[in-house]
Amino acid sequence: MKKLFIGLSLSVSLVAGGAMAEDPEATAFRDGFIAGNVDWQAVQERAKKEGTVNLYYWGGSDPINIWMDRTVAPALAEEGVTLNPVRITGTKDAVDLVLAEMAAGKGPGEGSVDAIWLNGENFATLKRQNALFGAFAPKLPNSKFIEWNAEDPRSQMNLRDFGVETGGAEVPWSGEQYVCAVNTDRVAAADVPHTFAELKAYLDKTPGKFTYVKPPHYIGNTFVQATIYAHNPDGTGASAFQESIDVIGAEELARLITPGLEYLKALEPGLLDANGGSPRYPEDPSALDGMFLNGEVDFNCKFGMFAVATGLAQGTYPEAAEQFVFPEGNMIKNKNYLAIPANAPNPAAALIMTNYMSSVESQTSKLQGTGMPPGIDPWKLSEAEAASLAAASPGLVGLTQADLDANAAPDTNATLVDVIEATWLEYIERDSTDPIDVIVKRAVENLSK
Amino acid sequence: MRRRKATSALNTRLSPFQKIYLLLFAGFILGPFIPLIIQSFAFRWAWPDLLPSTWWLEQREKSMLPLAWDYVLSPYSRMLEATINTVFIGLVVTVICLAICLPAARVLARENFRGKPAFEFFLSMPLIVPEAAIGIALLMIFIRLGLAGSYIGIIIAHLIPTIPYMIRMLTAVYQGLGRDFEEQAMILGANRWQVLRLVTLPMLIPGVVAGALFTFLVSTNIFLLTFFLGQGKIITLPTLLFSKIAGGTLDASAAGITLLVTVPGIILLLVTERFIKEEAFGKGFGN
Repeated sequence: MKKLFIGLSLSVSLVAGGAMAEDPEATAFRDGFIAGNVDWQAVQERAKKEGTVNLYYWGGSDPINIWMDRTVAPALAEEGVTLNPVRITGTKDAVDLVLAEMAAGKGPGEGSVDAIWLNGENFATLKRQNALFGAFAPKLPNSKFIEWNAEDPRSQMNLRDFGVETGGAEVPWSGEQYVCAVNTDRVAAADVPHTFAELKAYLDKTPGKFTYVKPPHYIGNTFVQATIYAHNPDGTGASAFQESIDVIGAEELARLITPGLEYLKALEPGLLDANGGSPRYPEDPSALDGMFLNGEVDFNCKFGMFAVATGLAQGTYPEAAEQFVFPEGNMIKNKNYLAIPANAPNPAAALIMTNYMSSVESQTSKLQGTGMPPGIDPWKLSEAEAASLAAASPGLVGLTQADLDANAAPDTNATLVDVIEATWLEYIERDSTDPIDVIVKRAVENLSK
Repeated sequence: MRRRKATSALNTRLSPFQKIYLLLFAGFILGPFIPLIIQSFAFRWAWPDLLPSTWWLEQREKSMLPLAWDYVLSPYSRMLEATINTVFIGLVVTVICLAICLPAARVLARENFRGKPAFEFFLSMPLIVPEAAIGIALLMIFIRLGLAGSYIGIIIAHLIPTIPYMIRMLTAVYQGLGRDFEEQAMILGANRWQVLRLVTLPMLIPGVVAGALFTFLVSTNIFLLTFFLGQGKIITLPTLLFSKIAGGTLDASAAGITLLVTVPGIILLLVTERFIKEEAFGKGFGN
């Protein structure tokens, strides 16, 4: 699909020959808003005229779909904007659509996507292709609930998305952390691993009861990143992986990731169904949820601070599921965002929508209805607001917020993620016999083409 | 047709082999529906339980959100919109397809012209070229024409894989029909319109209904072309189902949606069954 669309965009751009149609009024509105010359009332008036906002988001979750229709749509209707929630199978589809339209000459005001729920690679792609609306996020009235001060280290999650500077072109919507769950009916508390060494020891003893989502799915990539952090030969953990591949270089990256990948290779015989050859990796988190529910595996790792609470409420998790700290000190934390593409047909309505999504009210009801952690920063809220937000939480099961904070680690730079992903696919999945530094070098060359 | 044969055979006597064959046949068709139906009423159904450990109705009051069938039948699931879209697109595609294929089939069945075999082969091309290739190429063109994400775009796209089927079916029907009856009517003084209305169409009807049914069913099942050209804005039953089950697990609401997706096809089969008598195929494909 990916290659298909790259080919598509290329051929479209050849056909289009660079001519780009645009709505001059939309361009003027964008430039004015980003320069701070358009006040919020004017945005509201324009949004009423536009009438609709097309929000593209992953539509595989019933609770999110319900929340969009039940809570978001009526709230936006009060502003005179009709929410058109477009449910897509993968976020990449929306990004490809924007790029294909831009390549076909649909410029500002002429596209069909007003906003996308995304992060990481998808944002990096839009940014690289110059397909973003611009630095709108800090200009939203509700951006006062978000920490933009670069001197506060906690602002990093708002300013950098997988190591890529957001530049205000996307607004934080939800903050997640990579948390593992264990079925306590099947694993004794004393046996629950907290480090990669303990996991290996556990699987040597009882093989087959663990697996992780397969890269290139980002949930799988995150597991690989956590492994690599923990096995960083310099012992500097995540901090070595915050720069882009151009800064770090293929050789240095290969040195940093080799121990982690060798660990993953050594782990393979202990993974699900590995006794008959190669292990079984689920394609995505819902497949892993199914394996966890059916007792095929006893652990389930994914981005989901409240996954156990919501999984129990939805019947998708076994009743004895509990969260635990794993891997110690390397539980990756990141945010996901709402971005507006450069050719959004209803930019003012998109601003109204993203502003609503950053409100305390919507963040609270989202947390309560869908179990998605808040994307706004609690310390920027009043005490009463922060308390109402905290009260809406479905709750952690088996660990505390202090555990999560104490073990948090940042995400990996998006350009490194691509290389690590390609290396995993070649070294682990295809069982390449080439040394890791050769694979990494090749991956870097392929990706820079 | 198969069922008709089976029931008439049942009236006589079935050999044990025939009975086993029938049972296997029914098992293969109905079997997959049984776990789907159970799953659609389940709250938590984990291996190795034969039946769900918790049923949806037990959780119904406790849950803040609509579960299982409550979700499927609520507006949140978009089932109604998808069903209306699917049936609407299917009907329009069928009508346009008939309008294109009836005259074309007549010529193909009765006339001989240079390059006819090549032309017939050309007509089958869309069945050979992968749907993804067609979809991508069309999307490129349609974005420029402003047809992407519109009903018109999807309907045009659906015509591509349905026309070859319809033409083949109608050509066969026309070939079986022969010119004799029409000539006879003309000799007896009927004008062209009367011939068409009173002779040709009634004799074509079973074949036309079979072709239309087939076209409709093909159209309502096209996922990839609809997905590309609908751009997520126009949802049909296949695209809705795919976005629901793409994760690889089938929860209660996905099972419910899967069951409902089969309903339009089943209703249509029941409605048209009386039109498609065996002679439609006998006359159409015989001789």
